[in-house]
Amino acid sequence: MIVAGIDIGSITAETVILQGNQILSSSILPTGANSRRAADRSLAAALSQANLKQEDLAAIVTTGYGRASFSSATKMITEITCHARGAFHVRPETRTVIDIGGQDSKVIRLDERGRNVDFQMNDKCAAGTGRFLEVMAHALEVKLEDLGRLSHSAKRSIKISSMCTVFAESEVISLIAESQPKEVIIRGLHDAIADRIMGMVHRVGVEEGVTITGGVAKNEGVVRALEERLGVKLFVPSEPQIIGALGAALLAQNIAKDI
Amino acid sequence: MDTLKGLARAKELYLDRRKRVKELKAQGKKVLGYVCLFAPPEIMAAAGILPYRLRGDLKEPITKAHDFVEPFGCPYIRNLFDQDLKGNYDFLDGLIMSHSCDMVQRLYGIWTLNTRPSFKYFVNVPHTLTPWSKEFFKRELIFFREKIENFSGNKISNDQLQKTIKEYNTSRALLRKLYSLRKENPPLLSGTEGLQVLVAGMGLPVEEFNNLLQEVIEEVMSRGQGPPKKTARLMLYGSVCDDLSLIQLIEEGDACVVIDDTCIGTRSFRHDLPETPDPMDGLVTAYFDSFLCPRTDRGPGSARFRYIADLAKEYKADGLIMYIYSYCDPHKFDAPDVSMSLRKEGLPSLILDDDYSLTNLASIRTRIQAFIELLS
Repeated sequence: MIVAGIDIGSITAETVILQGNQILSSSILPTGANSRRAADRSLAAALSQANLKQEDLAAIVTTGYGRASFSSATKMITEITCHARGAFHVRPETRTVIDIGGQDSKVIRLDERGRNVDFQMNDKCAAGTGRFLEVMAHALEVKLEDLGRLSHSAKRSIKISSMCTVFAESEVISLIAESQPKEVIIRGLHDAIADRIMGMVHRVGVEEGVTITGGVAKNEGVVRALEERLGVKLFVPSEPQIIGALGAALLAQNIAKDI
Repeated sequence: MDTLKGLARAKELYLDRRKRVKELKAQGKKVLGYVCLFAPPEIMAAAGILPYRLRGDLKEPITKAHDFVEPFGCPYIRNLFDQDLKGNYDFLDGLIMSHSCDMVQRLYGIWTLNTRPSFKYFVNVPHTLTPWSKEFFKRELIFFREKIENFSGNKISNDQLQKTIKEYNTSRALLRKLYSLRKENPPLLSGTEGLQVLVAGMGLPVEEFNNLLQEVIEEVMSRGQGPPKKTARLMLYGSVCDDLSLIQLIEEGDACVVIDDTCIGTRSFRHDLPETPDPMDGLVTAYFDSFLCPRTDRGPGSARFRYIADLAKEYKADGLIMYIYSYCDPHKFDAPDVSMSLRKEGLPSLILDDDYSLTNLASIRTRIQAFIELLS
């Protein structure tokens, strides 16, 4: 039985094609201005990679902000449930999931059977999300993917007090004007994000076995800042960006069995 | 008179917030707007006045209130103030406010200065529960009664007040009966229908509301097809929830709202108002002791937490949606404690913050759906 999970997020859309425990293919593409088209393209890319057609799929589960835009979904399930499912699958010791996506961040607590028991979600604004880091990388004239490495080389951090993306950008610009080294500012930004996530972590109550998912998990600077605060190592999946889509595909398997 | 009956009539009253009150006004009824039960409607009704509980308009963007109040504080009371500034309450003969919370208290002066109602009164309600504060509250209610007598020109006899209290207790008993039909699975009455009935009651004379409740109960008990069975049974907790949007958002998914603890809901009719020889004693007991609103500080280890959990269990709720307006200090202060105490009882809860606009609909929908998924 072959199934698909599609995670249509605010910045990227991901698809995972799954057969049993094996990921046959996956794709990550920008969402752009049309989430319906993004879902189609993401699914088509993953299908062609695996040499499959949509008719070969027993079920499709969509998740993410654009989950309702894909009309041929078997079922829609929220990204909270999907990230929990995906993270528990890649690492069954997971009891806490920190997901930092393009426009929101969430902390999910799981029980020993992988069921979601509580969650916190921040989506009031872009504060501390992928979009926030994109804006800051632009202001600092560095590539998004270099942020983690650069912050690693900083010998100290600096306090960024504003978490509003617009205000933080002006704060960063004034720090640049003060000739603060880029690395130090970047580390300060990562620390600020981690502090914000910790607020949510405390609300749901942290349990050991912390897995981080979403695009920002690829930023080693944010991961390290979180590890310092939590006092434990984080588990970073080999492809953290597809965990939501993987969870959706796993849930699609359950649904297909019931059909 | 209108020809619609029961639930259809309740829906009509919900949809048109001003028609009935304007009809009554044209018949010579005096109408006083109030915002909180701590200015007891029983006292106003006993003087022949229609106590009209002001209703928000969630879909109305705030445009005028910002000129008079800095943009912080309760978005609900700001919405009411804004509507008054726009002339949406032009049928009112006066405005009654009470010390529900600090925001309402401070807004009273700003509101009445800028809209100049012909009659205005502020009921001072203490915030801590002591024998002396009860004494104080009783005196405040006596002053309120005198003010209402002067305004209406009708002396309120103890007999009349007792009769009115009896009518209001009939309302309470009927509401409890109607709510008990939601204990079934699936509930015989949906959350959407339930809220339409409650909101209809906010603007009706008590006798008229009691007739409507009778009709609704008969209709619900005799109809074949009620709401469909859903996976999750939820309790709605919050201050005022007078708009259907949130409940519809919940009930469009795999869940139904079977019970509430809000100030226009169960909180106001869980207990009867004691019928005491001096009716003022019953009013004090009901509103100050038994009316479990978080605006009154009951000290640590609050009995209120127990009450919320008991109510949820009585209606077999699987979890709670705590819908709290931004900056609502009475409800926000102990929300984490309420949530924690419920978790110990095996009742998960979801706290939703909203500025009384539900503009962040997509994200609220995601939270609600995720919470329903968690429960199932």
